[in-house]
Formats: sequence, structure tokens, C-alpha cells
Amino acid sequence: MTNIAVLNFKYDEHNRIQRWIRSGIIVVISLLLFVLVWWLVAEWGYFETIPQPLDTFDALISLIQNGDPINHLTLWTEVSSSLRTFGKGTALALIVAIPLGLLLGYVKPLRELAMPVIEVLRPIAPIAWAPIFIATKALGYTWGPALVVFMGMLFPILTSTIFGVQRIDSSWIDASKTLGANRWQIFYKIVLPSSVPYVLNGLKTALGVGWMCIVAAEIYATSLGGLGFFIYSMAQNFYWDYAFAGLIVVAVLGLLTTGVAEQVSKYVSRRMGME
Amino acid sequence: MTGEEYSEIPEGTVSEDAVSENPEQTGSPGDDVQISIRDLGKTYKTDDSETVAIEGFNLDVKRGELISIVGPSGCGKTTLLRMIAGLLDPTTGTIMIDGRVCKGPGPDRGMVFQDFALFPWRSVRKNIEFGLEIAGVPSADRATRSDELLRMVGLTDFADARIHELSGGMKQRVAIARALATSPDVLLMDEPFGALDAQTRNLMQENLVNILSQTDQTVIFITHSVDEAVYLSDRIVVLTKRPATIKSIVDIPWEWPRDRASAEFTSLRKEILEELREENVMN
Repeated sequence: MTNIAVLNFKYDEHNRIQRWIRSGIIVVISLLLFVLVWWLVAEWGYFETIPQPLDTFDALISLIQNGDPINHLTLWTEVSSSLRTFGKGTALALIVAIPLGLLLGYVKPLRELAMPVIEVLRPIAPIAWAPIFIATKALGYTWGPALVVFMGMLFPILTSTIFGVQRIDSSWIDASKTLGANRWQIFYKIVLPSSVPYVLNGLKTALGVGWMCIVAAEIYATSLGGLGFFIYSMAQNFYWDYAFAGLIVVAVLGLLTTGVAEQVSKYVSRRMGME
Repeated sequence: MTGEEYSEIPEGTVSEDAVSENPEQTGSPGDDVQISIRDLGKTYKTDDSETVAIEGFNLDVKRGELISIVGPSGCGKTTLLRMIAGLLDPTTGTIMIDGRVCKGPGPDRGMVFQDFALFPWRSVRKNIEFGLEIAGVPSADRATRSDELLRMVGLTDFADARIHELSGGMKQRVAIARALATSPDVLLMDEPFGALDAQTRNLMQENLVNILSQTDQTVIFITHSVDEAVYLSDRIVVLTKRPATIKSIVDIPWEWPRDRASAEFTSLRKEILEELREENVMN
């Protein structure tokens, strides 16, 4: 028995490592192919805006070490500016979307009243709000891009939270009623915890959308700096390699944000026994 | 249960006369009656039809007894129990516990559900303590009470386990402990072992007998298994088909443990199955 168990364990472990190696190799091949195509297109020279991969890499290193060729601001300055705006937008979206989603999910008349508005506003591309937000004097340009992020993140979190509240197992509600819970106790002891996995799932989607919004919004609100502004100003001055380095940074940060959110979401759902 | 499920059933197929054929339907008077159910009825209304699920249901439940309710499938057993629990408003009639009329759900009537209805984000102990938390019991007292219940249902080693780590039988033991935590007047069990496999089911019946021997708890138990009813009950209420009323009440004077293989057990089971068959044939 023991031997079989040990063998099985080794076999499983072996399999898992093999799977990791395999998926790792696929990722590397995929990225190498992408760089190859990039290099060929750049070499072809038909699009003067596309720099060589190696030049882009050099620009990235130089950006980290010395800053950009125009304002001599380092990569970290631009990234931290973007992250601050992104953080503001995310915080605002969470503060508004979670309580509103819980309320609309729990109180049917309010939900029926709000759904038409949500359905009308949802299809508007978040970036379409940018010119309006940024021009609004009361908001000023510092809040403009953050509000664009907010608009992008609001609906994924809101709809996912509403969905989560509605998906609550009715037997949990029945059980808590027979244990003496009133409507408010049902709300904070059943509705609140059981909707957490749905909120996190919505947040995961929202972070992806929000990250796309921030870069676009910064192109409008140029005086604020940030990665969007950086890419824009490099392109304006024909520093294509620096502009591309900016794109790579945007991609990596976006991947990190959603990756972390995905892991947190998975971990919490597993811990809560609600996979 | 929704009204639609009943929409094809003609109304009033069992007359008032059928009810009066059982003069003893409310149980023998004079005993220590804890729960009185009088003229309980439920009619489901949809836009174009009315369906009577339960009609003129009267029952007296004595303190400390385990009473089972069996009936043809879909006769409204669960509707009946949900009304007693207060999860469903009756169309007519009242439910009284020790002379006090029950309206809406409350911790005086603990309930065990077929699908367990445990809270997966809470540990075993936190599930058991839920009703105590609601009642505002201080955490030290909650812990004492949940320790006691964990011991009673044999899950002391699983106090901090998560619900998804437990087997079906263990889950239902947690649910029983949770329902007992607030010391309800009556424990309502809605086909509690229906989702378990046959072996676990028999084991859980023995478990329940053990648990109840320590509490002197009044229990109303819904089941579609006559075998289970005969094994567990002090009395068995046999329901008619829809609209459900009481067809007969069978007293079981035997002590626990009971022997399923004994001649008297087998013959009583056969007798009740025969009664149920009559109901199904009448359909």
C-alpha cells in the first residue's frame, strides 16, 4: 500500500513538473515567434514607425537608467504617475460599485429601476467620457483620467456583484431565517460573504478594462504625465523605440495586475469553499 | 414548490367526508400536547388556476415525540413542513406551540434541509454557532455550546474543517447540530437523509436516534421512505394524495434500537406501504 501511494505521489509530481515545463516552453516559443515577426516587419522598413526589437530593448534600458530623451523623466516617474491615477479610479469604482451592486441585487424594486440606466450607460466606451471629464472645471485635469478608469471599472464590478447577490442559494436564506436571522442579519451574514467571490471576479475583469482606459485617458490629459502621455510625447517627437518601450511596459503591468487579481480571486474562492 | 406544479391537478378531489372518517386524526387527546396544528391549508394561486395542495390538516404533536409524515410523492409534505417552519404562509389555519401562535420563521422551530443548506464560507463550528450569533450569545458561551454539540454529533475533530471537506453524512450531522444549537421547541426535518446513499442513510438513522436520546427533542420528520419512518418514529402520519389530508396515524410503541429484520417491523412496513399504494392507485 505504502509503496503504491509513494509511487503515485511521485508520478503525480512528475506529471505536474512536466506540464509546467511544457507550458513554459510554449510561452517562450510563442513570444519568440512574435519577436521574429516584429523583427521581419521592422526590417522590411515599410512602416517607419516600427523600430527594431533590439533598439526597443535598448530604449527600455536607457529609460530605466537615464530617463527619456526629452524630459529626462525616468520610467518609474511615469509608471508611478499612472499607478496613482489607476489606484484612484479603482478605489472609487470599488467604493461605488460594491455597495450599489449589493443594494441593487438585494432590493428588487431598486434593481428594476436602475437596470435601464445601467443598460444605456454600459455600452459607452469609457474613453468616450475622457474629453468631457477632462474639460469639466469642477473636476480639473487631475481627476479626469481617474474618472475614465472609474467608468471603465464600474460596470464589470457592478453587474458581477448584482449577479452574485441574485445567485445566492435560496436554501441559505431559508436556513438563516429558521435560525432567527432578520433581513439585515441575512444581508451581512449571508449576502455579504457569499457575494465576495463574484465581486472579486468582477474586479478581475474590471482591472483589465481599467488598465486599458488609463493609458488612453492620459493621452488626453497630457499635463498629468503617466505612461499614456509618455507614449504620446515620444511618438510626437519620432522616438519610436521609446514609444514601443512604453507599450511593452503597459503590457507587462497590465498582465501583472490581472494575473495577481486572478490568483487572489481563485485563492479566496477556494478558501471560502465556493469554487 | 411553485404553483405551476399543481396546475394540472383538479381541485377538491378529496371531500370533507374523507377526513371525518378518521376521528382520531389529531392524535389521542389528554397527552402533553406541545404543538397544535389546526385547519392548516395551502392553496396555490396562479393567474388562471387555483390548486389546493393541503386542506384541513389537524395534528397534535406531543412533547418529546418523533412524528414522521409519509405520503404519496408530490402530495405536499414539504409544503406542510415549510408552513410549520414559517417559510411559507398558510392559506388557512394556525400553528401553535405551547399555546402561542407561530407566525413567520423563528429559532423556536429548527430546520434540517435535504440539501444541507450549510454555509460553505464558515467552518463546521461557525456553522453550528450561526443561530447563537444571531441570538447575540457571547462567544465564550457559543464555544461551550458548540463543543457540546460537536461531541453529540461526533465531529469534535472536524470543528475547524470546511464544509466542502466533509462527506454527505457528516454535512447532515453539522446541519442537525446547527438546528439544535438554539434549543428549538421542535426540530423540523425535511427528507434529511434523502440525498445520502443507502448505507450512510441507515447509519445516519442510528446517529439520529443516538442524538435524540440525549435531548428529548420533539421532531417532525418528512420522509418518502416507509422503512425510515418505521425505524425512527413514535407515530407515523400517512397523508392522502393532493389535496393532502391525514389518511391515518400509526402508533409505534417500540423502544429503540429497532430491528428492521423482525417480523413485526416488516409487517408494519408492509401495512403502511399498502396504504400508500391505495392512495397512488386512486390517482
